[in-house]
Amino acid sequence: MTLAEVFFWWYAQGWKVFIEKIRIGFSSITDFFSMDSLIRTLFKPFRQISAETAGTDASLDLKFQMFIDRLISRIIGFSSRLILLVIGLFIIVVSGILGLLLIILWPLIPFFPILGIILTIFGVNL
Amino acid sequence: MNNSFDPKNPRVKRAYQKKIFYTPPVLALCVVISSILIIGGGILLYFKNSFGWTLLGFSALPLMLFFWIQNHLNEIPIKKSKAFTDLVSEDLLTLLNKNLIPSDLIRIIPRTQSGTFLMVRFGLPIPFFENIKDFLPKSVEPIYDTAKTIREKTNSEEITGAILATAIIENLPNYEQLLNQLKLTISDLYQGIIWFNYLHGLVKNNNRPIHSGGIARDFAFGFTPTLQRFAVNLSNRYTGLNNKIQQAENAEIIQKIIHTFTTTGRQNIALVGSYGSGRSTLVNSFAETLMNADSKIPNSLKFRQIYSLDAPSLISAARNRGEIEYLMIKILNEIYSAKNIILCLDNAHLFFEEGPGSVDIANLLTPVLEAGKIRMILIMDDQKFLEISAKNSALANSLNKIVVTPSSREETIKILMDQVPFFERNKNVVYTYRSLLEAYRLSEQYIHDIEMPGKAKLLLESSASYAVNGLVTENSVQTAVEKSYGVKVKVTENKEEREKLLNLESLIHERMVDQKEAVSAVANALRRAGAGVKNKNRPIGTFLFLGPTGVGKTELAKTLSEVYFNGEENVVRLDMNEFVSSSDVSRLIKDGASDALSLTAQIMKQPFSVVLLDEIEKAHPSVLTTLLQVLDEGILRDEKNREVSFRDSIIIATSNAGANEIREKITAGEKIEDFKEEFLEKLISSNEFKPEFLNRFDEICLFKPLSKEDLTQILDLIIASTNRTLEPQKIAVNVSPEAKQILLEKGYDPKMGARPMRRLVQKTVENIVAAAILSGAATPGSTLTITPSEVEIN
Repeated sequence: MTLAEVFFWWYAQGWKVFIEKIRIGFSSITDFFSMDSLIRTLFKPFRQISAETAGTDASLDLKFQMFIDRLISRIIGFSSRLILLVIGLFIIVVSGILGLLLIILWPLIPFFPILGIILTIFGVNL
Repeated sequence: MNNSFDPKNPRVKRAYQKKIFYTPPVLALCVVISSILIIGGGILLYFKNSFGWTLLGFSALPLMLFFWIQNHLNEIPIKKSKAFTDLVSEDLLTLLNKNLIPSDLIRIIPRTQSGTFLMVRFGLPIPFFENIKDFLPKSVEPIYDTAKTIREKTNSEEITGAILATAIIENLPNYEQLLNQLKLTISDLYQGIIWFNYLHGLVKNNNRPIHSGGIARDFAFGFTPTLQRFAVNLSNRYTGLNNKIQQAENAEIIQKIIHTFTTTGRQNIALVGSYGSGRSTLVNSFAETLMNADSKIPNSLKFRQIYSLDAPSLISAARNRGEIEYLMIKILNEIYSAKNIILCLDNAHLFFEEGPGSVDIANLLTPVLEAGKIRMILIMDDQKFLEISAKNSALANSLNKIVVTPSSREETIKILMDQVPFFERNKNVVYTYRSLLEAYRLSEQYIHDIEMPGKAKLLLESSASYAVNGLVTENSVQTAVEKSYGVKVKVTENKEEREKLLNLESLIHERMVDQKEAVSAVANALRRAGAGVKNKNRPIGTFLFLGPTGVGKTELAKTLSEVYFNGEENVVRLDMNEFVSSSDVSRLIKDGASDALSLTAQIMKQPFSVVLLDEIEKAHPSVLTTLLQVLDEGILRDEKNREVSFRDSIIIATSNAGANEIREKITAGEKIEDFKEEFLEKLISSNEFKPEFLNRFDEICLFKPLSKEDLTQILDLIIASTNRTLEPQKIAVNVSPEAKQILLEKGYDPKMGARPMRRLVQKTVENIVAAAILSGAATPGSTLTITPSEVEIN
């Protein structure tokens, strides 16, 4: 009786619950990699190193030095964010595909025992 | 059907399934079986045995079961219907059945989490429910119906054991009277239900996923090494947490802060309010809101971190003022560059005034605050804000002031309910609901330097030390107050204390003679206080004793102190002839640090005492006016504007005004009660006392002159007192009746009362004893008998 209930739940509420779990997991991964803030701040200086700007009366040398500082800081910021973005995107894509696969596979899981028996009968070996 | 329990309801079946399957052994078994099948299948396939596929296939079944148990049985939500069974909490589903009678419910309630919660927190033990069993309705339907109504009234999601317990009580005839016996009302129980729901919600919230910004959250924000050295990051503690401790009452102020920080204009807030009013808690709640990725706040504030600058460490790190300013500029520069910092100056006045532990850097901070580029929160109290405003109006004008008012009773109780789980975890105790109410009531009465809710929290925390069997009750809170403030707040419960109060008159008369009116007036006042029926907003009693000198006015105050106020030294005595000019008012209210003997300083140290204002008629009218508030409300403000409570004191003023008239009338054979009214009228018309002053006393007692008979008793008391003094030397003194007669004749002076007699005994009896001790005539164990001749010689 309980087993029948499990099967019934599997195709109704269970599938929905599973999809929700995948969604939560997905949002946790995006949150962990702070994807939105990485994209929003892609070209910002890394940790605001050299955030100061030269005043209008500063010498040309100083202005140039500041500009270079900022440029380097932005390059460091851009590179580190880009690396994280790539890694994050890769993990998100992989987990997304895996999640999608599992969602598709979900209705087939109750048939796994039958599939196992069929493969045994046909003597399929690795 | 709506008000009965339906055992065929699917929720009931699910609850039983949960009971069987949702247990660690079953879940573990599923995982173990599945693992064995997977491993076994893998091994067989490795050895080219195709049966491995069957094992692998069947491993899906225990995993399915596991998933079903974890996700289907973990929660049994209520259904949107009016049927009782659809609304019952899951723990009750397996405990109820169709054939229950009301008395069965009583057995069920302690088996639910919420039922136990209500029973423990509200002092409703099992015997209480056992005793009411016979008065319950015949069937459970009315109880279930009431439970549904309570659920709606308390906005509860489901009908819990606590709701069912309340419904049982509400179905009793005269339940209000019954609850009154436990000092409870039905709305208290409703509060208890809401309290449980809140705590239950906190536990549920803990399991929610956490979003706190991720690893790149602070990439775009700068380093702040100097700030890190001198400030505490308030936001750190909320990173990754999801259990909001913020109170609903804070929401409005937090919205104001968010609005200020997200609109153009000066980016600063001055949180102005008294100490204890929850200003720091507000900042912490704000920090928590900012760190929660899911909170609905503008992006420009998300993940901004609040740093509380530690003034003492900044001051101690610098050698001079210049260095402090240098460090401050460095910190402000870092904050400006970092772009994600909100600086909080707790006790902000420390940065705007010179003194130990404070430094005036207003010249540096004012332009920064005026420019409004750096987000800052300044916390200060009302008085300091006024002082700073008076000194530096530019600074005050540059601040966006938000007033934090002390919380009301309802808000405070809610806040205490919020905080109790943290206290309980730290102190390993359980607080009852009455302890919360009592903490509010007593802290309001006895703690004056802190505002609500701070003082109630403080008292509740300290009450944990007086928990009995891990339970902090109303009694624990009272004990904490009694031990910390030296006052009596409990209604007298122990037999000895009760006996003492009931026999106070005879105890007083062991030390003093007659004056029954005054003795019974003070005894009655103390009995009222002991029984908890006195007005809480007034002193225990206020009395004016009028009469000739030496008749026992001061003696009564001293006796009272010895008998009931733990010793004669607990008399706070002020000789009012030392307060004859208007400038003496300041001496009454001087701060304890500069004058330990001022009235306010003494009462602050020792609130449970007898205040004796001797010879009150000699005090300057301004002094008397100052004392009016003490007599009326039991409150006097000291020079630092702190409220000092006299509500646990008994105030006795003595005066010789009209003494001659009293003596004359008594000698002429009149009775006090016959001329008292006329006598008081005369005192007013002759300007001895103002009517408003006399009116402030609970009772005005006239002391009559001592008769010769009274003096005989007084002589015995004086001799007994001499014997008490000699007791350590084991020497006793006995005055012969003839010698006593001589003493009485020589010592009797109706104008001077008992004082001449005391002096006479000193000159005769005590001198004789002293000589005998020094000459060796009196040795330990001996009894000296004073003869008439010895008295005559001396």
